[in-house]
Amino acid sequence: MTEQSRFGRFLSATAVALTGTALMLSGVQAQTIKIGAPLALTGGLADEGRKQAIAYDMWLKRINAAGGIDVGGRKMRVELVQYDYQTNEQRAQQLAEKLIVDDKVNFLLAPFGSGHTKVVAGVAERYGVPVMATSASSDSIFNQGYKHLFGTLAPNSGSVENLITVVTRQMPNAKRIAILGREDVFPKAMATVMSDSAKKAGLQIISLEYYPVGVLDLATPIAKIKSMNPDWIYITGYSKDLVLARKQMQDLGVKAPVVTMITGPVYKEFIDALGPLAEGVTSASWWHHSAQFRGNDPWGSTKAFYDEFVAREKADPDYVHAAAAAALVALQKAIENAKTLDRAKVRDALAALDIVTFYGPIKFAANGMNGGRDLPIIQVQGGKPVLLYPEALKQGNLQSVK
Amino acid sequence: MEYGQVIANGLMLGGLYACIAVGFSLVWGVLNVINMLHGSFIILGGYLTFFAWLHLKVNPLVALAPVAAVLFSIGFLVQYLLVNRVITQPVLTTLTLTFGLDMILYNAMNLAFEATPRRIVLDLGRLHLGGVILPYDRVVAMALALVLTAILYLVLRTSRTGRAIVAVRMDRDAAALMGIRVNRVYAITFGIGALMAGACGALVAVVFPITTSVTGLFLGKAFVICVIGGLGSVPGALVGGLALGMIESLASFWFGPQQAILVGFLIMLVLLMVRPTGLVGKKGYE
Amino acid sequence: MTRLGGRAGHLVFGAWILLLAATPFIASNYFVKIATFLAMYAALALSWNFIGGYTGYPSFSTAAFFGLGAYSGALMQNAGLWVGFAWIGAALVVSAFAAILGFAILRLRGHYFAIASIALADVLMLIASIWAGVTGGGEGLNVKIMPGGPDFIGRVFLYTMLGIMLAAFVTTVLVDRSALGFGLRCIQQNEDAADMVGVNVTRYKATAFTLSAVFCGAIGAAYASWVAYISPVDSFSILLTLKVPVMVLLGGPGTVLGPVVGSAAFVILEETIWAKYLDYHQAVLGVVIVLLLFFLPGGLLRMLSRRSGR
Repeated sequence: MTEQSRFGRFLSATAVALTGTALMLSGVQAQTIKIGAPLALTGGLADEGRKQAIAYDMWLKRINAAGGIDVGGRKMRVELVQYDYQTNEQRAQQLAEKLIVDDKVNFLLAPFGSGHTKVVAGVAERYGVPVMATSASSDSIFNQGYKHLFGTLAPNSGSVENLITVVTRQMPNAKRIAILGREDVFPKAMATVMSDSAKKAGLQIISLEYYPVGVLDLATPIAKIKSMNPDWIYITGYSKDLVLARKQMQDLGVKAPVVTMITGPVYKEFIDALGPLAEGVTSASWWHHSAQFRGNDPWGSTKAFYDEFVAREKADPDYVHAAAAAALVALQKAIENAKTLDRAKVRDALAALDIVTFYGPIKFAANGMNGGRDLPIIQVQGGKPVLLYPEALKQGNLQSVK
Repeated sequence: MEYGQVIANGLMLGGLYACIAVGFSLVWGVLNVINMLHGSFIILGGYLTFFAWLHLKVNPLVALAPVAAVLFSIGFLVQYLLVNRVITQPVLTTLTLTFGLDMILYNAMNLAFEATPRRIVLDLGRLHLGGVILPYDRVVAMALALVLTAILYLVLRTSRTGRAIVAVRMDRDAAALMGIRVNRVYAITFGIGALMAGACGALVAVVFPITTSVTGLFLGKAFVICVIGGLGSVPGALVGGLALGMIESLASFWFGPQQAILVGFLIMLVLLMVRPTGLVGKKGYE
Repeated sequence: MTRLGGRAGHLVFGAWILLLAATPFIASNYFVKIATFLAMYAALALSWNFIGGYTGYPSFSTAAFFGLGAYSGALMQNAGLWVGFAWIGAALVVSAFAAILGFAILRLRGHYFAIASIALADVLMLIASIWAGVTGGGEGLNVKIMPGGPDFIGRVFLYTMLGIMLAAFVTTVLVDRSALGFGLRCIQQNEDAADMVGVNVTRYKATAFTLSAVFCGAIGAAYASWVAYISPVDSFSILLTLKVPVMVLLGGPGTVLGPVVGSAAFVILEETIWAKYLDYHQAVLGVVIVLLLFFLPGGLLRMLSRRSGR
């Protein structure tokens, strides 16, 4: 009947049109490299997630301005597929699968949170998708035997050892250390690593306590520390915990020649929030913008990265920004070396990577962590973070906290 | 270490805690509504104070009054226009409503202020008193918290509005029969709850770093304090706040910071089972 | 209260389960995952329905049961127990926990009960953090990774969650039609009157509370095996505990299908909103909750049954 055949023709025409469009679109898709990025844009890690977003964007603009990544002779543009995982673990897991299966990304970037990184890595591992972790420095993140997880941050132990080196050399009389850590993957790891390393270095650990994730007040633990007369006070946590701790130290008149906060002083917001109280606080970092690395990457040198960041954000970049951009650089280099987007080959290329970039050397160990070398130690002097270590880049000496 | 410092810490913390809880307790006791927005109101007050200090160079203690007024209006409107529509419904409904509203406020604050911790840099110095150190800003915050609580108590006792609020709390229907406009009383009470939260936020901004991620923390403290002290009464919130401050301080000293929070919750659970009306509370709303 | 036609409702539910079970064969793994979450939330909602919907006690213990289940299951698995037994074992542990604690906190009513139930999650979370030697504390706990490719794993967990949801559903149907269900409704209407009339209030409440825990525990344990890593803050998430009652309210509390409908609607709503409003999704969700409470008292089921003219 006419109705049916007209309808039938309409159907087939639509089908053809849709198929054609789909083919066209898939053809268009094949021209770009898609990298999936679950970001913490809301929730407890929103502040940190934003840093990753900025760094990713900087790299993206540069790489696409140059035409894209060279894949076996052909330049392919890069597309970043971003979602807000709301600092929620279930969302992170769901998003990982969505990005891989639905958005069909070629590779993944890990979220900021340590636990969330593990969960995303778990999903990626099953699909054989390489995942770049940009803010994971604790061994426990890499201890599940995943082969597709790579991180640009060096293990915590390296920075802690450098810190101990600086302090024991320049203040040999500082022998009694008090440690206060946040009960959370990264801060706790930094506390336990310090406790182990300090013991080995012959320091006396006079106090080791952990405070809960949601803490409002640290007056009593700090008062306890005060009563033991430490030479070195070492506190780990996220910015708001450290700001609170430093202020309460001031409130209670707690003084010690060496005060270390991981990783407060590295971040601008810590110094802004504390003003004069930030003076003299030391920290370990994974990168400092005064480093003088040169490499074959979109920036070419640390200074170029620094200059672009300052022009864009009107502030100094910290290691989170750099490590995030470096993760994308590592991925880029691996793709270039592998000459293909084949995930298994890129994964192998990542494992074999041995390069120097604006961020420093990138060479992944068997567990996926970047090797550590000369991790910087800084101290806030005159309102700005000053490099105390490594020797070659040193800008100042360790000063006693007044 | 001398117990003096621990006790002093506890009291200073306790004063702030009392302020945190008193508005919450009032709303709960009078309206029978658990206001999930309370923590966010506190932080909002904190942010307003911070930005007044940052951009207008206004001293936080001076900003306290206007900030509190702003929060009062917000609270009043929220109750009058929104919460009032479900006021007679069971616990779950009102709680879920304020939870939904809280999500909106939280999102708005995150967008407007970003999650970076903000702190008012105001070094007022310390008071040394027989081996115990009392930072001035904490002492002032505690004193103001107590003053505000006392003012609230007086207002409830003596002013017409205050007595209307107490009447509604005792017996809503009887109060209505006496000619009290219950809906308006509800809105005013909620407004007062928000006002106290805002004022507390201004004080908190002086003492703690302000960030959206702590709204849940403050709310949680308010819960515990209300149970310990007793609902709907200002002296209850005071007693509960001071008690919790002391408990946390001592437990932290004896066991550790995490254990301190755990002890607080365990005591709350035990009290719930043994004496749900709290240390000071009267038998009232369930 | 009208229930959406017994037979028709069950047919719809059956079709829904079949649809979810068929996702590995008709759609991508992303949809399989969504189906798994749909089943998971449906099971959590059905669980909550026992104590919150039928009995009318505002319980916020979902996170406590879920987290306890996750940790119990993870520890049992790591100790060598076969995955399936670990899940069952976790369900038993959580049930025992609920039964024992139920006695203590079910004597409370209204807001006090609500607070006590929230406190359970906080207490358990702190214990998980402090008892680091056993639970890994803040660093979290690795769970033995189940070997298999993504398709296989996707199916295993889809059917696991569906299985638990089915068990919860069947239990709900049985309770709904039994003396227990009747007794719980009486308790919700007027607890003292029910007591006087001869309903064994204490026992019924405890049963409802325990039932609300069993399946949550199993889900928690399964979830832990699924993601292979758990931590205190995420396992005892307050958001989970607040979302589940909203789902049941959305669908229709105290009914057999309400939790299923509500959880499905909520998850789908969340997915579509969140995908569209990157910056505002939380606020939009909040608005949805507010509108739901104003305009849909009794949930979707009540609205649908009114439209169908009783």
